[in-house]
Amino acid sequence: MAAPLELSCWGGGWGLPSVHSESLVVMAYAKFSGAPLKVSVIDNTWRGSRGDVPILTTEDKIVSQPAKILNFLRKQKYNADYELSARQGADTLAYIALLEEKLLPAVLHTFWVESDNYFTVTKPWFASRIPFPLSLILPGRMSKGALTRILLTRGEPPLYHLREVEAQIYRDAKECLNLLSNRLGTSQFFFGDTPSTLDAYVFGFLAPLYKVRFPKVQLQEHLKQLSNLCRFCDDILNTYFRLSLGGISPAGQEMVDANLQKLTQLVNKESNLIEKMDDNLRQSPQLPPRKLPTLKLTPAAEESDSLQRLSP
Amino acid sequence: MCNLPIKVVCRANAEYMSPSGKVPFIHVGNQVVSELGPIVQFVKAKGHSLSDGLDEVQKAEMKAYMELVNNMLLTAELYLQWCDEATVGEITHARYGSPYPWPLNRILAYQKQWEVKRKMKAIGWGKKTLDQVLEDVDQCCQALSQRLGTQPYFFNKQPTELDALVFGHLYTILTTQLTNDELSEKVKNYSNLLAFCRRIEQHYFEDRAKGSSSIRLS
Repeated sequence: MAAPLELSCWGGGWGLPSVHSESLVVMAYAKFSGAPLKVSVIDNTWRGSRGDVPILTTEDKIVSQPAKILNFLRKQKYNADYELSARQGADTLAYIALLEEKLLPAVLHTFWVESDNYFTVTKPWFASRIPFPLSLILPGRMSKGALTRILLTRGEPPLYHLREVEAQIYRDAKECLNLLSNRLGTSQFFFGDTPSTLDAYVFGFLAPLYKVRFPKVQLQEHLKQLSNLCRFCDDILNTYFRLSLGGISPAGQEMVDANLQKLTQLVNKESNLIEKMDDNLRQSPQLPPRKLPTLKLTPAAEESDSLQRLSP
Repeated sequence: MCNLPIKVVCRANAEYMSPSGKVPFIHVGNQVVSELGPIVQFVKAKGHSLSDGLDEVQKAEMKAYMELVNNMLLTAELYLQWCDEATVGEITHARYGSPYPWPLNRILAYQKQWEVKRKMKAIGWGKKTLDQVLEDVDQCCQALSQRLGTQPYFFNKQPTELDALVFGHLYTILTTQLTNDELSEKVKNYSNLLAFCRRIEQHYFEDRAKGSSSIRLS
């Protein structure tokens, strides 16, 4: 039953196990439902097709889109929605559609279309994980795909000006974030105390927006004001993703390194102090032991004399 | 549902008249507003709204369900009309090009088909087969049916924009003759949705139309 399930997806950074929304959704769902996934990160040497990531490979099947992968996992009895009522299941579908229609265009825009962000953050990151010469072509293609998707679903020139479309999608995204925040309220997950598919989707879309450092950040700023959504992301990261692909999550590793550094510095300081004290002791003016002809002191007395000279 | 007096006019070049390229649009005084979302907001600004009685969480749910319908049902309808070869050949081309003389009807139909296929590919529906599309529709109808339950409208006593949207799509699916009846069969599986459509049709359309344009639900 526990056939080796291997997930190929884009890697992580900025404290996330993956910076790609769809890969993150699948990873989160796998953690929530307890599916034993072996995650293999796409790096420079990966020889598969990169268009369809994330991809789940089992011994005899290859499944490619997040919705299909989740269906497959459910059929394999890894179901995170077991305790949801029918009505909550229906709500899940509706909210996922809301995310895809209202939030996804703005997320795509922030990552792939906004030129400052794209050229300083997204393109170098993805290009470093794709071997030359594809690294010159593929990020550009992904960017164009994102722009086409936004324009075709939202309106394109000559009927709409690109600026208007951008303003509209950001307005929609902010409204969507507000709606999600209202719906989450103060509870830990969207449907009670156990995470479900909807939590995986929301986490997958929000976490990259929340954590990746961009130059142009208007949507990120808005998200950071909604503290319950930020808390939601942080909770999931800390609970389910503390041990990630490399053994210690990058954030954890940094913390450990920082602590180690501090400790080393302290130890160094201490040893420096000790050395200084030693030097002081050695360099303090000592009168050479004079041979006083008249005084014939016993060795013990001589010692105590020299000790007395040393002490201040 | 808001009791506003409207006159429905059919025009062949409606899509070109619309400010956003999409139908329907309304023409009020010297303002033209297109698509459901902006029309709802326009009407709300004039003082008529169906969703005033809802609280924040319910409004969020309503918006989410409206997006679900847009995402699944609308795209499925477009798919069936334009990407399924049998339907395209027999019905859609003929219907879309009917107001125009040859060869314009052919050219416009092919152009529209190309546009729709491009959009499908951009959102990831390009590789779906008809069966997968039907399954998605089924899931969507199941979600709607569960949300409706035994209530008369989605948010209990009063109809809202969601009811209008769902009625529009389901009614169209149920009453349009296609080569392939599977889509309407999927909807018919859910009796509460059928009852819902019938109720709205009787309540809001038959009282006014007096049998002129409404087609009876079979």
